Amino acid sequence: MHILQAKNLTKRFGKFLAVDDVSLSLKEGEILGLLGPNGAGKTTTIQMILGILTPSAGEVFYFGKNLSSHREEILEQVNFSSTYTNLPWDLTVRECLSFVSYLYVIDDRQARVKKISELFLLDQILDKKISQLSAGQITRVDVAKSFINFPKVLLLDEPTASLDPDVADYIRKFLLEDRQKFKTSIIFTSHNMAEVEEVCDRVVFINHGKIVADDTPENLAKTIKTAHVQLLSLKNLDRIIEYCNKVNLENKIEGKRITITTSEKQIPSLLQDLSSQNLGFEEISIEKPSLEDYFLEQAKGFNRASKKSVTSP
Amino acid sequence: MQFHRIWGVILRYNYLFKHSLDRQVDAFYWPTVDLVLWGITSTYIASQGPNANLAVLMVVSGIVLWIVLWRGQYEFTVNILEDVWNKNLINMFVSPLKLSEWIAAFSTLGFVKAIISTGFASLIALLLYHIKIFANGLLLLPLLFLLLMTGWWVGLFVGGMIMRFGTKVQNFAWSMVFIIAPFSAVYYPLTALPNWAQKIAFIVPSSYVFEAARQVFVENMLDWNKVIIAFSLNILYLVLALMFFKSSFKKVLDRGLVKFQ
Repeated sequence: MHILQAKNLTKRFGKFLAVDDVSLSLKEGEILGLLGPNGAGKTTTIQMILGILTPSAGEVFYFGKNLSSHREEILEQVNFSSTYTNLPWDLTVRECLSFVSYLYVIDDRQARVKKISELFLLDQILDKKISQLSAGQITRVDVAKSFINFPKVLLLDEPTASLDPDVADYIRKFLLEDRQKFKTSIIFTSHNMAEVEEVCDRVVFINHGKIVADDTPENLAKTIKTAHVQLLSLKNLDRIIEYCNKVNLENKIEGKRITITTSEKQIPSLLQDLSSQNLGFEEISIEKPSLEDYFLEQAKGFNRASKKSVTSP
Repeated sequence: MQFHRIWGVILRYNYLFKHSLDRQVDAFYWPTVDLVLWGITSTYIASQGPNANLAVLMVVSGIVLWIVLWRGQYEFTVNILEDVWNKNLINMFVSPLKLSEWIAAFSTLGFVKAIISTGFASLIALLLYHIKIFANGLLLLPLLFLLLMTGWWVGLFVGGMIMRFGTKVQNFAWSMVFIIAPFSAVYYPLTALPNWAQKIAFIVPSSYVFEAARQVFVENMLDWNKVIIAFSLNILYLVLALMFFKSSFKKVLDRGLVKFQ
């Protein structure tokens, strides 16, 4: 059964069509990545799913119930954390969690705040004001806040942005564990594609307000035919660069390393050519296409289209 | 309506009050300054002629009663602004919190803070001028409630404007209520107003309240006709302001809470 279904969501701001007939669904215990370049319509879609933006057309259902007619009942089991919202600056972390806990039906609020503080390692900062925290600590408090009602559906917009790598890793593991234990369904946006690949079961890619792909991260990456060949060459780097430029191979230099972008199929013939021309190298690594390549490919298309729409009369 | 959610909102603004010097100054400092400044001024003016005590009583009681109205609207407008500045509205409205519960929290806060601020100002009035504002306390009760009602609808109206036009009209949060002050005849009898202003005062509920309050202070009697007129006008404006506030919030949701913030 689908925990969440967004049907034909459309949002117009005047003449601008921000989201165009987007439909998506989320299963119980599924983590769905919502990706797309800036301005593609992700935030607008999330806002409509949360009920804080009225769609021009379309409907949102949670647990088979319409959000607009069962808002109170639904939002009791949903929560949200985002980098584009703030927590009240003048309040302490404890006060923030405390007042938010009263917005939900929770049996023992003090115990819940204590539990959440332990889970998200907030004990040391509980009595500090939000304005005294680092960006990473604020993000951690914001994510913690979104767990205050132990939601069944969680919408997380860049939950690990500005976190130290170890804390980001902790949050990712926490989300995966939470999903495992409580079958929490999560919609997740991030600009860290490696993170999306690690955490998400499925990815919906939005571009120009439309869904252009809906698949697993692996399958999306497979649609990209190019791979990256990285060579470390101490003696022949200049000649390898010369060769790449001659045969029009996209390349990037970093110190004594060159990264060549080519189609997966062309890799054997590339290596053969280098060998036949005595262009030796000390190390080689081949990076298969990743979700990041897919994202970049889509974003390139988005930028081209945007430029075209700006220049066209 | 769920009480725990209303309490959650009240907690949020009380925590803010606890930490914000600005808000504390607004609650205690300005009423004290008004009382000291205008009380002494009126004492001096009155000392130049007869009826000294009456003049001081009119001004001082006007200041104290005005606090009820001012406080009632302030809890709506400034708290809405605080959440816009803090980008906190999303945290509230991704929860099951209903608009009616939000309004109920503001109204309750207005009521409680009005009691605190008015109580504090009455104490100052007693200490500085030996005026017992609430000597006829029971007769003043309905009037205090009517002033609070006026504060609520002014607050709802200004809150609705902030939602429609954003922070560019944020100054109204403090200033808008003073538009009705001259027509409310806070410190002087209604007859002191020019004719055209008296016509406007006719539709301002607080003008009836301040007239009635003066009658309580001087004659120790309450004019229930004035109470009924003020109550009816307040109900009418409250309904209109609620409709305006609700439609402004709907407009915010049409644009999106993220954009509004």
